[in-house]
Amino acid sequence: MSKPWAIRIADENDLDAIMQIEHECFANDAWSADSMYEELTGAEKYYIVSYRDEHLVGYAGLNKLPTVHQSEVQTIAVRPAARGTGLGRDLMEHLLAEAVRSDCREVFLEVRADNEVAQKLYLSLGFEQIDVRKRYYQPDDVDAIVMRAQLPAAAKAEPLVLGIESSCDETGVGIVRGTTLLANVISSSMDLHARFGGVVPEVAARAHLEALLPTLHEALATAKVSLEEIDAVAVANGPGLAGALMVGVGAAKALAVSLNKPIYAVNHLVGHVGVDILERGELETPTIALLVSGGHTSLLLVRNLLDDVELLGETIDDAAGEAFDKVARVLGLKYPGGPEIDKAAADGDANAIRFPRGLMLPKDMEKHRYDFSFSGLKTAVARHVEVLNTKGEEVPIADVAASFREAVVDVLVSKAVNACLDHKVPRLLLGGGVIANRRLREVAQQRCEENGIELRIPALSLCTDNGAMIAAIGAQLIAAGRKQSSLHFGADSTLPVTKVQTI
Amino acid sequence: MGATLAIDTSAGTTVALLRNGQVVAEANYGSNMGHAETIGTAIAEVLAAAPDAQVISVVVGRGPAPFTGLRIGIAAAMMFAEGAKAQLSGVVSLDAIALLELEGNSKISAASPLLVTTDARRKEVYYAIYSGLNPHGVPIRVDGPAVIKPAVLEEMLIDKNITPIHATKTITAVAIAKLAEAQLRDGSLSHDVTALYLRQPDAVEGQFGKKVSG
Repeated sequence: MSKPWAIRIADENDLDAIMQIEHECFANDAWSADSMYEELTGAEKYYIVSYRDEHLVGYAGLNKLPTVHQSEVQTIAVRPAARGTGLGRDLMEHLLAEAVRSDCREVFLEVRADNEVAQKLYLSLGFEQIDVRKRYYQPDDVDAIVMRAQLPAAAKAEPLVLGIESSCDETGVGIVRGTTLLANVISSSMDLHARFGGVVPEVAARAHLEALLPTLHEALATAKVSLEEIDAVAVANGPGLAGALMVGVGAAKALAVSLNKPIYAVNHLVGHVGVDILERGELETPTIALLVSGGHTSLLLVRNLLDDVELLGETIDDAAGEAFDKVARVLGLKYPGGPEIDKAAADGDANAIRFPRGLMLPKDMEKHRYDFSFSGLKTAVARHVEVLNTKGEEVPIADVAASFREAVVDVLVSKAVNACLDHKVPRLLLGGGVIANRRLREVAQQRCEENGIELRIPALSLCTDNGAMIAAIGAQLIAAGRKQSSLHFGADSTLPVTKVQTI
Repeated sequence: MGATLAIDTSAGTTVALLRNGQVVAEANYGSNMGHAETIGTAIAEVLAAAPDAQVISVVVGRGPAPFTGLRIGIAAAMMFAEGAKAQLSGVVSLDAIALLELEGNSKISAASPLLVTTDARRKEVYYAIYSGLNPHGVPIRVDGPAVIKPAVLEEMLIDKNITPIHATKTITAVAIAKLAEAQLRDGSLSHDVTALYLRQPDAVEGQFGKKVSG
């Protein structure tokens, strides 16, 4: 519902109308027109006026003291006929918002001791009484109550947030200002895992500790900010590898304490969804999100990024990325398997071998409509290769790779498109490292077009695990006025996607 | 005068704040679990005891310790130092235990040294041996730190004809800070904060060709 009044910044043309109300509201202690003119045109002043049907009904002013991060409410007046409508609150909220924008940490005001209505309003806006000035209002001989509201730096609309990500094998430090990406530095330990054919948790955790400071330094240099400017620290506290997550959690907490800034514990998977904000300025909802990586294969219905993320389904065995790695090993290809299989499949026939599609049969679809299973597919590929080897026949690597990839992509996209159609959500967002797979992008594009679904694929550097997405969610939480996390949270390897922030 | 923040998570979580060599506050959480949960509160707790203190030095115990918990203290120390623009140094956690034992204990000598052991899990221990304190008050480590099976350690001591005095004290961040002070005096304080795992990660290099058909 729109309000019956409009609020805008005042200028000298409003002076006459303001003076009329000034005399009406402050019979014995009204300011002179000259003083009011000084106020309206002053450099560090912020005056707003409210009009209803072309008549001035209220005004308010703020005096900003930016060097000390404070401001004072100079005046607020609402014409008697317009009182009790919420206009006074609206004006005050505008002043507070301006104070926050101006990086003020405290707002002061004085209020007549006999004006209980106003005091109640200020209390409800977060002001508290800090002092009394005896007989301040003359000639009425009334005390002034001095009140103060403390504004968290975190309440800034465009907070500068540093995000730390360490849930798997990438150490990520990202810096955002509101929805603007300033830095996204990722240090991957992928090469260290290559000889093991998959991510080794202990190797990943050790690598995080070593990568932490260099990654932080590079991010700060890229963003051209210093740590003192940071308004808040955000960290992924799950889901992921426990030992790896803990490095980021310990680091983020100590950084937040040393800077005396709030910390926000953020869900890694929600980060993958929220990252679209950094490219588009906002996340269009509702949206279906398909997150595919070496550790996750999840299908989400996002009605609201911070409040309503529903897990529709996930893998019941291997993650899609894991299946690529394992099949790459079967075919004698290198780690990580995704790009290697993509390369090998380039000249292959995707229809050469009909590999099984996990959980796509009608009976499975009843129970697992949005779940995934890649373990059977991996075994089918291994068996196919073994049979050929036993017969002494050559393994057509290109065809096997292409047919395997087609099976994975087919299941991923079919289930995601089903989710869009079932829930009448015409949007699909992809995230996770496996999104790098060219065939997956092609098929998703094609099927989404056929079904009138808008497809969003963020830049690859934002699709893989990164700190920027964690910072982006932190900034959203702050902008939404969410309270900071306590210092007690831990790493939760199985953190449910419904828990966007751990308090 | 600046303050020193000391952190060790090689066993439990222990954090201390010192100024002019005096302990301002310490927080000791004995459990060898939950380091990630505890570390932030522990640091905030000791800092709250002296809100005006400016931390100019952060010292952390590098272990040895089995993996996960150890990293949390080191990661926290690194980042705190970064945020506070403080000097970062690392010490061997076993040396800090030795300091606790050696201060005021004149019985320990090269002939009857101090043996410090801590649990390394997997039926092994970390150990180091000390012959006393040097003139600056720094423990003189003559063996270790290393990881070993208790039976093998036993044999080794018999072979070398050593009857050590066994350390019984537990690590504290205060001891970490005092050790760093002593090392600063004799010039041996190091900025190296790499974790002392003393073990390779458990991982088997890629196994190929596991049969899946009968």
